Amino acid sequence: CNYFHSSPSLSVCSSPSLSLPSTPSSSSCPAPGPAPSGTPPLGVISEGPGELSLVIDAEVAQRACQEVLQKVDVGGSQNGAGPEPALSVTIVKPAQIQIREVEDDPGSVKSARRRQRHNPSKQSWLLRLFESKLFDVSMAISYLHNSKEPGVQAYIGNRLFSFPHDDVDFYLPQLLNMYIHMDEDVGDAIKPYVVHRCRQSISFSLQCAWLLGAYSSDMHISTQRHSRGTKLRKLILSDELKPAGARARRDPLALTPFCPAVSGSGEHGLSPSKRTHQRSKSDATVSISLSSNLKRTASNPKVESSQDEVGCHTTKDRPVRLAPQREFIKSLMGIGKRLATLPTKEQKTQRLISELSLLNHKLPARVWLPTAAFDHHVVRVPHTQAVVLNSKDKAPYLIYVEVLECENFETSSVPIRIPENRIRSTRSVENLPDCGMTAEQRAGSFSTVPNYDNDDEAWSVDDIGELQVELPELHTNSCDNISQFSVDSITSLESKEPVFIAAGDIRRRLSEQLAQTPTTFKRDPEDPSAVALKEPWEEKVRRIREGSPYGHLPNWRLLSVIVKCGDDLRQELLAFQVLQQLQSIWEQERVPLWIKPYKILVLSADSGMIEPVVNAVSLHQVKKHSQLSLLDYFLQEHGSPTTEAFLSAQRNFVQSCAGYSLICYLLQVKDRHNGNILLDAEGHIIHIDFGFILSSSPKNLGFETSAFKLTTEFVDVMGGPDGDMFNYYKMLMLQGLIAARKHMDRVLQIVEIMQQGSQLPCFHGSSTMRGLKERFHMSLTEEQLQLLVDQLVDGSMRSLTTKLYDGFQYLTNGIM
Amino acid sequence: MSQVEKRAGLLRRTSSSKKPLKEKVVLMYDEIFAKEDPAKNNPRFWDELFLMKVNLEYLESKLESVDGEEVQRIQDNINSLFHHCVQALGEEHQIKVVNALQTLCALFRGVHQKNKSASGFDIINMLMGFDKAEQRMKDLMERLDSLLCGDGSESLKSLCLKLLLCLVTVTDNISQNTILEYVMINSIFEAILQILSDVSSRGQHGYDAVVLLALLVNYRKYESVNPYIVKLSIVDDEPTLDGMGMVVHQALTEYNRQYKDKEEENQGGFFSTLTSMVGSMFIADADEKLSVQTNEAILLALYEAVHLNRNFITVLAQSHPEIDIATTPTPPTRPHPQHHLAPLMNNPELPLDPNLQTSNLLITFLKYASIVMQDTKDEHRLNSARLCLIILTCIAEDQYADAFLHDDNMNFRVNLHRMPMRHRKKAVDKNIPSRPLVCAVLDLMVEFIVTHMMKDFPMDLYLRCVQIIHKLLCYQKKCRIRLHYTWRELWSALINLLKFLLSNETTLLAKHNIFHLALLVVNLFNMFITYGDTFLPTSNSYDELYYEIVRMHQVFDNLYCMVLRVSTNTGQWKEAASKVTHALVNVRAIINHFNPKIESYAAVNHISQLSEEQVLEVVRSNYDTLTLKLQDGLDQFERYSEQPKEAAFFKELVRSISLNVRKNVSLNTLSQDVLLKEFSTIS
Repeated sequence: CNYFHSSPSLSVCSSPSLSLPSTPSSSSCPAPGPAPSGTPPLGVISEGPGELSLVIDAEVAQRACQEVLQKVDVGGSQNGAGPEPALSVTIVKPAQIQIREVEDDPGSVKSARRRQRHNPSKQSWLLRLFESKLFDVSMAISYLHNSKEPGVQAYIGNRLFSFPHDDVDFYLPQLLNMYIHMDEDVGDAIKPYVVHRCRQSISFSLQCAWLLGAYSSDMHISTQRHSRGTKLRKLILSDELKPAGARARRDPLALTPFCPAVSGSGEHGLSPSKRTHQRSKSDATVSISLSSNLKRTASNPKVESSQDEVGCHTTKDRPVRLAPQREFIKSLMGIGKRLATLPTKEQKTQRLISELSLLNHKLPARVWLPTAAFDHHVVRVPHTQAVVLNSKDKAPYLIYVEVLECENFETSSVPIRIPENRIRSTRSVENLPDCGMTAEQRAGSFSTVPNYDNDDEAWSVDDIGELQVELPELHTNSCDNISQFSVDSITSLESKEPVFIAAGDIRRRLSEQLAQTPTTFKRDPEDPSAVALKEPWEEKVRRIREGSPYGHLPNWRLLSVIVKCGDDLRQELLAFQVLQQLQSIWEQERVPLWIKPYKILVLSADSGMIEPVVNAVSLHQVKKHSQLSLLDYFLQEHGSPTTEAFLSAQRNFVQSCAGYSLICYLLQVKDRHNGNILLDAEGHIIHIDFGFILSSSPKNLGFETSAFKLTTEFVDVMGGPDGDMFNYYKMLMLQGLIAARKHMDRVLQIVEIMQQGSQLPCFHGSSTMRGLKERFHMSLTEEQLQLLVDQLVDGSMRSLTTKLYDGFQYLTNGIM
Repeated sequence: MSQVEKRAGLLRRTSSSKKPLKEKVVLMYDEIFAKEDPAKNNPRFWDELFLMKVNLEYLESKLESVDGEEVQRIQDNINSLFHHCVQALGEEHQIKVVNALQTLCALFRGVHQKNKSASGFDIINMLMGFDKAEQRMKDLMERLDSLLCGDGSESLKSLCLKLLLCLVTVTDNISQNTILEYVMINSIFEAILQILSDVSSRGQHGYDAVVLLALLVNYRKYESVNPYIVKLSIVDDEPTLDGMGMVVHQALTEYNRQYKDKEEENQGGFFSTLTSMVGSMFIADADEKLSVQTNEAILLALYEAVHLNRNFITVLAQSHPEIDIATTPTPPTRPHPQHHLAPLMNNPELPLDPNLQTSNLLITFLKYASIVMQDTKDEHRLNSARLCLIILTCIAEDQYADAFLHDDNMNFRVNLHRMPMRHRKKAVDKNIPSRPLVCAVLDLMVEFIVTHMMKDFPMDLYLRCVQIIHKLLCYQKKCRIRLHYTWRELWSALINLLKFLLSNETTLLAKHNIFHLALLVVNLFNMFITYGDTFLPTSNSYDELYYEIVRMHQVFDNLYCMVLRVSTNTGQWKEAASKVTHALVNVRAIINHFNPKIESYAAVNHISQLSEEQVLEVVRSNYDTLTLKLQDGLDQFERYSEQPKEAAFFKELVRSISLNVRKNVSLNTLSQDVLLKEFSTIS
């Protein structure tokens, strides 16, 4: 009953016009054991593996919803043939409602939602609410979680179908966690929707399977095996949930790429010349055992089309849909596991590169990075760019992935493989200026001032020129170029007197050029990631694109992902959801707080992927490599305090500080050392690593008691504790807190649902939710809130523990 | 009896086989060598023949013993035998296929053995008959192709490859083997590729397939259009190319491993104590012991792939954890290798060995080259060393290869083998840093330069070596790659080489144009002097270059004196020597500029012996008054081309490989017992 406090349904129930289905049927409340298990109650849209004739769209869903409501409304009274007699029974339980009514706190700052619901109409308020435009996914999830009435649950289960997919997807962890850990009715209500979506989408299927596995893992092993979650997971992975064979809606889409006549090979104009035989298992198959499912069929259009052709004719033999992606993920995880056994960073790096190069053999394939925001096919992993990240015993690694954006990764045809060496201008010998020095210039530099502008110009060579794909004849091209060079120098020499150069100039150019080259970190075998992360993203993209055989394609994109093996990312996912929720709340309330939620993919309870934050280095790295205070670093990077650039960087800094200060306070984010705080190129700070939130803190050292991290260095960047920007910072925090408080339920619900059945350390103890709720300070007035913010800021500024903690980190982990 | 035969193998000639009574098959052979058509009295003669176990010795010796005139009489019967062999290849009965394949082997070999001097046309006529030859060979090749590509027995495939190898190597000079004209027309290239692309078939037949391909590519290479060359040059299927690379990789790894084993064997035990006692006296002997038969055929295959196929370059850098090689061994004659491969294919994870070094074909090749190049006295090893350097030349010219050689992200530790020498300790292997691969190539070149300054001077290897370095420098200069390499080692090796040339001028000049080599070496220095700003890793390294030149100025002085002397006299070397005098202009300018400065510095500061740091200081402060002359063409090089320069070498090489393969084919052929066992279960 605890839950009812926060539930929006509460306030609804408190409505005096509570005349819901007060039809005679309400008397039937004592009816025993509603909804016998096994049969879906309440006309829930049902979709088992066997039945797939029905196309479910919003309309159908709507109808189903109404059916349920009607049945509920009409109750058992009028119905003649009641195939579901349980229906009528369930929804109305006046007693319960009354209880809720009592418990409700009418004085609370409930949002506009409620006013809407005060509908004097005779009609069911619940129906009105459900049908109102304000009824969104968030509310649906909340009702699903809090309502005990199977009728409501069934309705919402059906209603899910009518929400935009993206909206529901956000709550997928919540939905599935409820499916796993809550009672049968909720599960039955959710299942049809999940099954339906699984049929439609490979990525959704896998997403579900991964989450189901991860969130089932805290159950006892014996219960787990027979749990609903495990069963659903098996069902999904069995790949029986396919779209119906002859579903008209999909046909036009599905057929085109499969049709042999189309044979996409032509459109790229790169189709590999004659293939004399079928591609078959290569070493890669053996050694990294990507099963043949991840076979890069596309490179041989014949093979693919014939396969799919078969699939079209005999629906049963369709190629397994989920297998390629599963194999892809599996091999990435396998690499991580194997890396972890190697003792040195160097060996890990070498091994990583060689494993990835084998992986490349299987690409392009119908695989994708789930952290990406657009549909694509992975075509290549630039294996030499991958780096092992710093970690003591595990081996997380960062890979860059080349993808081709496409309409729909399930139906668009997989790109054709282009051999690695098709592009040869990796370092583009042809286009590289000879340091702007032909023989003549070299000579010129002796007598005149060296013309370095020329050099710059030459460096901005048109990229497109460099990206041209070489045709086989180009083998001779390089030799042409060489001879061209020679012609240059010969003619220049023959026509003139001998050319002289000063040794001093050569030496000077050498040191100048060495000085000019952008400072990269020294390659350190013990910290291989430092160099890779230092390189600006745009630069990296350009460089990799140049070296890629796919780089010339207009839909080429570069993605990156951190593969974590042996780490539980479920807390990270929770933090991501909360951050995203708060971000959208602040956006909705027009509070200019800045935070950057980064995507998390949970693959199991101990593996997953993280979307790296690009163009950002940790404060630790900033300090270590610049040897400057944060303010001085800002001045160095963005200019003097009065410049536009500095001011905007400072504003970004303040807005992001305010955002993350609130986040840290609300979520009790701990372990805030400088290695876990990034600074991006625009001045924003970004907190990473949410391993310690809510009820958990590192080693329980009792350190870090301050609300959030606010060092004097931070305050200095803001212009000191008396400056306008500092006041702005506090003001932003107040506004942010007020906004967050207004939508507190949306935040709480995310956390609360995930707490169920969870053993995560962040839920340790019994007061997690209470503590979280208290930090929203619902009872305070705005004036009081302002005081609170001031106190928090003051406390954090003066906090010794922050400094202590930094010192502790420096001693133990070498983080500055 | 069966025991004896098993040992003997099928194609092997046992010296004296006692035959108490004539086998049936022998009687049937006799019938063939009679005038009559054997099928005349027995219509099922041919059917029966191929059910009989082949007696190769008898058949071959019979063919050899036939006299010129007799040939005319029995030609029809031999043509008929050939015809029926080809037909039997299409039989479902596998025993017949096996027997037919072996009979064909005997036919090719016997006929050639007998008619060494005969023209190819006579041989074709004798085997197949002129008018039918084209059709017969077409049928034969088609049958072989379908056997090789089909799902049939692996042993059968192996036998097909043996037959082809046997056919290709029946003549010493492959280009004189006229029958191969038909193999050109009826290509089995696709079958070879298919074998290479499949993991399991590659494990069993890859070696033979690669050798066969290498030989076929060399058939009349320079005289006509060889379709195998054309086809090989356009293969772009990565699994196939990779497969080819794997076969080469495995063979070379196997060689490296054997060498290492022998080396370790020699190091342990009393032998090592003996050598250390008696000093370097026995090193030569130890080397003798260490020489493992080089594998020129595989090296040739690698060369052809690198040279002809530009896509193959990527395969060189394809990394494989070394374990791969250990688990899929090369020996093609294993009875049921599938069983060994199966667990590997099912096993999802690579075996984990923390000590495992990641390797790739290029690394293995470099290690192999470092072994082979240690000792070039033996003809085979000299050829192998030469071929290794040619392959490296091709690699150094390829931009893609250069790109990955210099890729900063691809660092490896490459343990090159170093010749044990009196004046230096054996390098400790373990402490080699992980560096871009080009460093290993440069190390190998430096190693070669310092270890081969001997009376019997391998001039052409030295030229190739210096040219490889030059090509790498050109790439670095163009791409402004500042390689962190200890250039000093290279400089001092090159200066020592010049020194050696000077001190052995007279003996060397009798055989070689030493001025050409000297010019190349001096021009390497010119590259550093004039273009050092574009590729040297630090400002200091430029100073060190000058330091090294000034320190060793006597070598350059002497060289200048020598070339000046030769160029002022009239003689065959006049022009070559005068080129060197011109090339030396900057080196001499440097010496003449800095030497007085250093001397005066020493005088002013009253120091008799300047430290390196002091010399560098003088160098640094006196650059500005030094003027250099820009020489043209320093960054150009002649691209490698096989014809005409290398044609003779390759002809000889292929001849030697042919002899070797012919010898090995007869030794390693499947024993019939194994085949019989297999087919008794199949059929």
